[in-house]
Amino acid sequence: MKFLGVIIVCLTGGLLLYGTTDFPDWGDPSSPASTHLSDYYIEKTIEDTKVPNIVTSVLADYRGFDTMFETAVIFTAGLACFILLRDFRGKKERFYRHKPTGVVLHVKDGKKTLTVGKEFEHMDKDWVPSDLIIKTVCRILIPFIQIYAMYVVAHGDFSPGGGFQGGVIFGSSLILLAISYDLKTLVNRIKEKVLGIFAALGVLIFVGIAAICMPMGGNFLDYTALAPLVWDPHHVRALGMLGVEIGVGFAVMAVMAIIYINIVSEGRHDEGL
Amino acid sequence: MDILVILLLLIGLLFFLGGAVGIIRMPDFYSRLHPAGKLDTLGILAMVMGLALYNLHHFSLESLLLSIKMFLIVFFVFLASPTATHSIVDAGMRAGLRHWTKKKRKV
Repeated sequence: MKFLGVIIVCLTGGLLLYGTTDFPDWGDPSSPASTHLSDYYIEKTIEDTKVPNIVTSVLADYRGFDTMFETAVIFTAGLACFILLRDFRGKKERFYRHKPTGVVLHVKDGKKTLTVGKEFEHMDKDWVPSDLIIKTVCRILIPFIQIYAMYVVAHGDFSPGGGFQGGVIFGSSLILLAISYDLKTLVNRIKEKVLGIFAALGVLIFVGIAAICMPMGGNFLDYTALAPLVWDPHHVRALGMLGVEIGVGFAVMAVMAIIYINIVSEGRHDEGL
Repeated sequence: MDILVILLLLIGLLFFLGGAVGIIRMPDFYSRLHPAGKLDTLGILAMVMGLALYNLHHFSLESLLLSIKMFLIVFFVFLASPTATHSIVDAGMRAGLRHWTKKKRKV
């Protein structure tokens, strides 16, 4: 079976490589992309969309369909990670630390839930005292990282940035919380369900904005049809892009956290890096 | 003004050079982190001070804002860089890496 897989991978890879020989050379001025498309994007972007950042306008407007399915791919990656790795059985062994004295209780029976008082805290098996300096600095930094992430999402129209980058920055701030404290802190702070809802909500925002265009009398993803809905009809395409980017940001942020949590804890969401 | 900018940039470069040489020449893990954590932080302060001054050539609200943003970068590097170094050293200590001594080298 494995041998068959290797053959299939080699065949597909060979076919793809063979296909690349038909591509135009890199930066070839006579290639179709350079002769028709690029000129149009460079000349007409400001006129069409009122967005100074051509990359964003190509990504979220001219080729919005592509980006929509990229978001769907990211959502699928998170979903696949969840389905493959998530383990609901839970560990039988658990450790609880009595906070004032530092005494550790080792619970060996396989009870699903064990209610403990507030003076006990759930503890990782290879727990080490978390470092005060790192915790404090991360506590200071995380809100700033998150504000910066939102800035990158919101400012994607004007400067480098956008939903993917902002979402990754936001997700990395969540991962920083898990690294500097422990995984339990992150999982308690943002529930798994919330992350899943955010991932789905991001895709829904994107597809929703695209689909609303149709009953408004435009094509799918044709933001100009939304003009009666927004307060500034001149910038309707820029605003449509902003909405789409926010959706992408949600999806990427949640999927980053889902993938991280599932991989480090081997799907049990109890302890990890 | 320009002289001050050049001087600050040169000071920053000097610190960066010291940091780079230190990372290569220092004998072990812990002492290598020392130039990495300290000199780069100071180097970036001097560099950004120079660049912010240069940016204020045409004094306006926008250039002032940009300079303040540059100093925000320094602020966060000042917070993050020593902490990152600290956490790496901490990880090294917990993993049980022994520090370097001159005596050990001779044996």
